[in-house]
Amino acid sequence: MNKKTYSTRAFFFVAPAVIALLTVGILPLIFALCTSLQQFVLTKVHLKGTVLGLWPIYDAPFVGLQNYLSLLSDQSFLAALGRTFLFLIINLPIQLVLGTVIALLLHKPGNDRLKSVARVCLVIPMATTFAVVGLIGRLMFNNDFGVIDYFWSLLFGHKVQWLADPALAFVSVSAMDCWQWTPFCALVLYSSLTMVPLEIEEAAKLETDKWWHVLQRVQIPFMLPGITAILILRTADILKMFDVIFVMTRGGPGSATELMSIYVQRVGFRAFEQSTASAQAIVMLIISIVLSRIYIRLVYREI
Amino acid sequence: MKPSFRLVILGAALLSLSLADAQAWSLEEAAKPYAGTEVSVIFLDRPGYRAITAMLPDFEKRTGIKVRHDVVPYENTLEKEVRDFSSNGDLTVALVDLVWIGTFADSDYIVPIDELKQKYPAIFDPNYDMNDFFPLILNAFGSWNGKVYGPPFDNYSGLLYYNKQMLKDAGFDQPPATWDDLYNAYAPKLTGNGKYAYALQSRRGETQSCDSFMRFVWPWGGSLLDAKFRSNLLSPESQAGLQFRQNLIKYMPPGIVDFDHNEAVNALAQGQVAMITEWSAFYSTLADPKSSKIVNQLGVAPEPKGPAGRKPALGGFSLAVARQGNDKQQAAAWLFIQWATSKETAKEYVEKGGVSGRQSTYQDQELVSKYPFIPAMVESWQQGVPEFRPRFAEWPQISEIIAEVGTRMMTGGVSIRRGCEEIGKRMEDVLSKAGYYDGKKKLIQ
Repeated sequence: MNKKTYSTRAFFFVAPAVIALLTVGILPLIFALCTSLQQFVLTKVHLKGTVLGLWPIYDAPFVGLQNYLSLLSDQSFLAALGRTFLFLIINLPIQLVLGTVIALLLHKPGNDRLKSVARVCLVIPMATTFAVVGLIGRLMFNNDFGVIDYFWSLLFGHKVQWLADPALAFVSVSAMDCWQWTPFCALVLYSSLTMVPLEIEEAAKLETDKWWHVLQRVQIPFMLPGITAILILRTADILKMFDVIFVMTRGGPGSATELMSIYVQRVGFRAFEQSTASAQAIVMLIISIVLSRIYIRLVYREI
Repeated sequence: MKPSFRLVILGAALLSLSLADAQAWSLEEAAKPYAGTEVSVIFLDRPGYRAITAMLPDFEKRTGIKVRHDVVPYENTLEKEVRDFSSNGDLTVALVDLVWIGTFADSDYIVPIDELKQKYPAIFDPNYDMNDFFPLILNAFGSWNGKVYGPPFDNYSGLLYYNKQMLKDAGFDQPPATWDDLYNAYAPKLTGNGKYAYALQSRRGETQSCDSFMRFVWPWGGSLLDAKFRSNLLSPESQAGLQFRQNLIKYMPPGIVDFDHNEAVNALAQGQVAMITEWSAFYSTLADPKSSKIVNQLGVAPEPKGPAGRKPALGGFSLAVARQGNDKQQAAAWLFIQWATSKETAKEYVEKGGVSGRQSTYQDQELVSKYPFIPAMVESWQQGVPEFRPRFAEWPQISEIIAEVGTRMMTGGVSIRRGCEEIGKRMEDVLSKAGYYDGKKKLIQ
């Protein structure tokens, strides 16, 4: 195959996007990387000047990989990491399965008007600001007037301390995450389903009367790129999940809901140890890149 | 006597020496060289800041100094100020929460008042009277390592708010004077039928570490650190206090460990609980018919006493001149701070919703009758510990540790002794890393 060549003019059209990406995305990342190799405590460093007025220089000593090594023995960090994976392993499958069910329901012929209303409704949780989702969560799981506790006590005759009990607080935060992001899975998978050619689907339905055969042999192959996208995006989102938890529980009670980014914020902006926090953030970045590669290798198939 | 207090007296003596030219001093004259200078400061969205903002036009008109203020949520203030100060930003006045003063002073972000006085003698009002501030809060909010950095500006004390009617129905015409009374006499009678005697805001965060945990350490004679900065939480006194808190939970609403300020204030305002211990700043919420059902039954008293005395929760902000401003900005910044905390503005400041830290303000009977929380607050400021929460730079880290383990303690996830052991160990790690144990850092809190 011939390699495509572009005129120099094309580069000028791409340049703004590249420069914007560099300044907004890559430069801060490089700054974080540099910081993670220094002993950078925000309240103890001083600005020494800048390179070309752009790149700040601080009087922070260089310590090499020491910050990364100390992460290995940081029990709180490892616990938060474990908790984040637990959160991921519990929530991602739930969101995928529920999303698939909703997508299949939407895909079923009939009830067109209802379905168009449903599609609009599905966008609402996604479009809600994270902090507001957290506030809604606080209200819904409130012990005195929360709607969840109300129905729970109607069904089981007793009240439950949702946000004050470590295990249940974890469940409550998970529930809010599922509430917000299952619709996203549903919409992505629904759009994948619409890509299945009608004649293939009809032919398959004539071959078998079992819906799961159709799902397994015909629909899922078309959904795999969508599922990969969901896995990558949701994994990255959960690794950096902050706002909802911060508003709902602040990582408490105890450390029951302290996921990675809550912990990183605590290190970076409560203790002002920017270097340790940067090292943790870089580790998270590496984890999400590795997971993304694994997803692509295991799940992704070209149709 | 605390060294910082001695310095205050020294400062006052210096002031009286310069009284000779007192007649000549006026704000307008002093500010003349600095007209047109801009002062930049961070404000919070709280009554005291709204009060001073409303009074600003007068200051700007008289001095020609422009005051630019950004309103920032409290949670982001420290982060924003530290970022600004460490990168030579544009803030010229520092808003200093009492727990930040160690950080700001040690990092040399703020200028001690004596240094300013030497540099700009002409801008100091001879009638300012530093001694008029309550010594406790001047010491706690504005002083560090024997130096005064700024006068108290936005001041709080922990108070006991109670529902007079509920107490009366249970047979009490006075609020409890001691925690023992509260627990043994009041609490059993006030709990039942979905009502509770007391609510303690305990949510993870500064709420847990300051409002909940430390509140039950000091009045029992306990403390966080001993003289050598080792954990003192395992001392019998600290343990007794924390055990008391644990016992008291049965008289609090369920799910107390998720109560933040709003939930606690609401529980009292809606008549669900009979008593709370909260900041003086919540008086307006509780006395407002829009947010409170108990406006007519609202009582305010100092916090109950423990075996070791009252030692109420202490919190507040001072204003200090930022080191990073240039000469003109530093002078203008002090002129603004001096005006905002002066005797002349104090009354208007209180009437507009602020809480002055000056003793002379509250001798005004008219003010006292208008704001029933004043006597209780003045009483609270007579006795207390400035280091109710240590004010050194490591406190935010320790606060997070206490918040995490303290909430676990309350839910029964860890025993009080084991929890204190864990806090102690992790806290000493932080302090050791900071250099308190090998002599690199002086033991000041």
